[in-house]
Amino acid sequence: MQKQRVGSVRSHRILAIGLIVAGAVVVATFVAAASGQSTKNTKKTISVAIVANPQMQDIASLTPSLFTAKTGIKVKYTILDEGKLRQVTTRDVGAGGKAFDAVMIGPYEAPQFGVAKLIKNLTPMAKADKAYNYNDLIPAVRNALSANGKMYASPFYGESSFLMYRKDILAKNNVTMPLHPTWQQVATIARKINTSSMAGICLRGKPGWGDLGASFTTVLNTWGGTWWSAKSNGKPDKAQVDQPAFKSALDFYAGLVQDAGEKDAANSSFNECLAQYQAGKVAMWYDATVAAGLLEAADSPVKGKNGYAFAPVNKTKASGWLWTWALAIPRSAPDTASAWKYIAWATSAQYIKAAGTHTKGGWAAIPPGTRLSTYRLPQYKAAAKAFAATTLSAMKAAPITNPGTTKRPGLPGVQYVGIPQFQDVGNRCTQFFSAVIAGSMKDTTALSQCQQIASQAIR
Amino acid sequence: MTAAAADVALKKGQVGDPFSSAWRRRLPLLPALLYMVAITQLPFLVSIYYSLTNLKDRTQTLIPEPTKFVGIDNYRELYSDPFFRQAIWTSVKMTVLAVLLSLVIGTLFAILLDRKFLGQGLIRTLLITPFLLMPVVAALIWKQQMFSSLFGVLNKVLGFLGFNSVQFISDHPLGSIVTVLVWQWTPFMMLIVLAGLQSQPSDIIEAANVDGATSFGIFRQLTLPHLRRYLELGALLGSIYIVQAFDAIDVMTGGGPGSTNVPYYVYQQSIGGGFRYGAASAYAIVVVIFAIVIATFALRVLSSLFKDEERA
Amino acid sequence: MMRGTRLGVGERRAAVVGVGVLAWVVGLLWIFPVGWTLFTSFKTEQDAAAQTLHHGLGFGRYSDVSHSTTGVLSLQTAFMNSLVVVVVSTLIVLLLALPAAYALAIHPIHKWRDVLFFFISTKFLPIVASIFPIYVYAQKWNLIGTREVLIFLYIGINLPLAIWMIRSFFMEVPRELIEAAEIDGTSIFNQLRQVIMPIAAPGIAATALLCLIFAWNEYFYALQLNFANGSTMPQWVVANVSTRGNFLAKLSAASIIACLPVVIAGWAAQKRMIRGLSMGALK
Repeated sequence: MQKQRVGSVRSHRILAIGLIVAGAVVVATFVAAASGQSTKNTKKTISVAIVANPQMQDIASLTPSLFTAKTGIKVKYTILDEGKLRQVTTRDVGAGGKAFDAVMIGPYEAPQFGVAKLIKNLTPMAKADKAYNYNDLIPAVRNALSANGKMYASPFYGESSFLMYRKDILAKNNVTMPLHPTWQQVATIARKINTSSMAGICLRGKPGWGDLGASFTTVLNTWGGTWWSAKSNGKPDKAQVDQPAFKSALDFYAGLVQDAGEKDAANSSFNECLAQYQAGKVAMWYDATVAAGLLEAADSPVKGKNGYAFAPVNKTKASGWLWTWALAIPRSAPDTASAWKYIAWATSAQYIKAAGTHTKGGWAAIPPGTRLSTYRLPQYKAAAKAFAATTLSAMKAAPITNPGTTKRPGLPGVQYVGIPQFQDVGNRCTQFFSAVIAGSMKDTTALSQCQQIASQAIR
Repeated sequence: MTAAAADVALKKGQVGDPFSSAWRRRLPLLPALLYMVAITQLPFLVSIYYSLTNLKDRTQTLIPEPTKFVGIDNYRELYSDPFFRQAIWTSVKMTVLAVLLSLVIGTLFAILLDRKFLGQGLIRTLLITPFLLMPVVAALIWKQQMFSSLFGVLNKVLGFLGFNSVQFISDHPLGSIVTVLVWQWTPFMMLIVLAGLQSQPSDIIEAANVDGATSFGIFRQLTLPHLRRYLELGALLGSIYIVQAFDAIDVMTGGGPGSTNVPYYVYQQSIGGGFRYGAASAYAIVVVIFAIVIATFALRVLSSLFKDEERA
Repeated sequence: MMRGTRLGVGERRAAVVGVGVLAWVVGLLWIFPVGWTLFTSFKTEQDAAAQTLHHGLGFGRYSDVSHSTTGVLSLQTAFMNSLVVVVVSTLIVLLLALPAAYALAIHPIHKWRDVLFFFISTKFLPIVASIFPIYVYAQKWNLIGTREVLIFLYIGINLPLAIWMIRSFFMEVPRELIEAAEIDGTSIFNQLRQVIMPIAAPGIAATALLCLIFAWNEYFYALQLNFANGSTMPQWVVANVSTRGNFLAKLSAASIIACLPVVIAGWAAQKRMIRGLSMGALK
């Protein structure tokens, strides 16, 4: 008994020591984990969320040498794909989070967030900063990011849309493309040059308000259709998906893709059409102006073979979209002053010039579509000879205040409707439209389901 | 016994000591229990609160709207939402198909791998690899490399054999997702059934063989009943994870008619784009209730897993 | 208890060889997508996008993705984050599950069935359903972007499974052994060490491995709560997906790197997993 008692006391001691050691290990790991977070030492560090495009990847790799070295401000980037970036920034900005000092948003979010006072008004800082050169920004782009005269985000990258086509293929078929074509002309040409090995045209079909939604909405606009009608105070009135113009636009778009469009259209967006165009599987492509830079790049198989025409129209004068990725400062950002310093550098003409010489893509790959001075740079004009002028004209002509034939609700925009509900409605409706393109759903079904969603959203 | 010894005996809760036994039995369980209650039930309670309001993300309204109490409005909307019903149906189809297929194929693989052959270890190693991959990675591999209509491997093979290319993901969204799920979970089922096959006493099989029974007969009469518990375990564990499938849908189809299951639909309503947190919470609550009902049903059906004798 | 090469009564050599060949074919076909990804990871982006092979193979993509740019989520950071989160959460899961399983297996409490049911039913709750309240409170308590928040959540994900599995391994321990130890006056700690663990060890290892796998591969919580600073490996992989330009080769290389640790662990421990599962997951 005596021995047992001693034995049990010893084993209790061992147990206690064991628990203390285990506890210490856990605590130590926690401390190590926590201290791994504290990168905020004496140097300033800001957190920026950007989208995963090549130009953004470039600036991320150039920041240490071109920005941190000069200002002492370190930048931590969070790089996400478009969809996730939007979700994360919307949530963080909406909840007054402190995760980011600067976020990359587009002309869809910027005016809305600005009017809702969730991001800071950059106009005073921008105008006071001589080096920033406020008047150098392309007016259409600046206006797209503003509301009531206040600019809420500074543009880093801008694009419109236009039609790219293989000059040689069209010539072989004895067709010429006018500089300002109509959709009917484009459809006729596409169907004429369409063969089993090379489709006539590549149009986006992948679901998403920024994918199929963007190109389809420009078609919808120029067909005289619209997503919602507007009340006199700018609020959405009624969903218009059940109107004849909407159906006619959808039928035209889906019909053209089915007759003369790319394979697996329902899965195709920018990247897929790019791959097909470069591989010689499609002869024409309606998409973002930034594609031209890739088509004319040094290693592109189709370099020099392309012609560029303005976005096709039907009932309106211009239909090209306007999109920019711009940097904004959330209202609750931890370090506004450093955030502005960063934004002013990232969106400046000086950076654009530096990108020309410091990045792998060279002059053709600099961030386009934001400043007038970009299009006066001799190196850029030389590298982008084929498409620079058309791009600039397209951006200037993008009809952001009046994209269609009727008044739109919400804040201005071409390929989207400037109301918060559009994002979700656009995403869900394009799922159906994509199925129509794939041939697995009737257009009437898709339209009635979409009308339901669109009506519910604005209740 | 001296008083001191009796004290020690009491403290150690020896067999036959009623007083401290009950608490000593419960104590080790408490940390885990409290932790799980906190981490699952607290959000549930908070969700109930939100579901009775019209809470939205601040960015969804241009002028600040105070969150107001709306009672069961969200639940009414849910009740008449056809897309939610579609999502439920898709969930059922997806889970049943994926679990059944992976169970059947996994069993076949296990039978194949049960006897020794040259390279058995290597083949088994290769076969379990899909289960070890990240679901996101598996979905990306299938989407970009296998199913892609432009340059996907499957379509290249079809072209070789003279068939037209198939638009796997666009035309068969549910099938594509089930394929990826089955590809990943079959190895898991195979491991479980392998464990079952190898825990089978081989002398009984040999005896049956000596008696002249066919392999098929042996399988049906001896092996299958023995495997029943393992199959049920596989079905249970597999369903738990497959019913929550999210990554594959997000990567391959982004939601959409035919491939949105319930978790994905709820996600779309809340942080996935709808940003209507009040309504989404109502959906979440309904889903949780469904889940508990299904869990009760499943665990009663699979009660053989609980047939352990109680320990005194 | 692996079946040997000695032919059983009634077996023919041809059938056994046939089975072997079939197994090889099936195995290679099943693993093909992974093998193809490995192959793609050595190509250039142009080749990867078009599935051709004009520019040769090399490790270029691997150095591309592991090359770290200051300020961008690097492989090293993501790896460390994942490692810490996975190891700490699994350790704590074991710390909590072992006593709980003891309470449910050996001298089980009265309501052990209900408690077990509760634990398993929590696995049926879709994590998507609770993400918003979790996000709100994580924000309030400044846990967004930290490793801690993921550790907490991963414990919640793995604990029920661990308790259930470890309990069934404990049930394998013959009652007589435990009773003998108790009559001898061995403390609970020594009971665990000398009697229970030797029998249940393979099973516990199998459980730990499963927890590691699920935690390492978890994407949803990591994405929703860790978008700024503490990103883990799955996020690092997905960061290679671009919407403008080709990325297939880099993505393949990143996928291989990210999945390698868990794959190696699974390969090394597969026998133990089978033994563990066969021993006691059910009775």
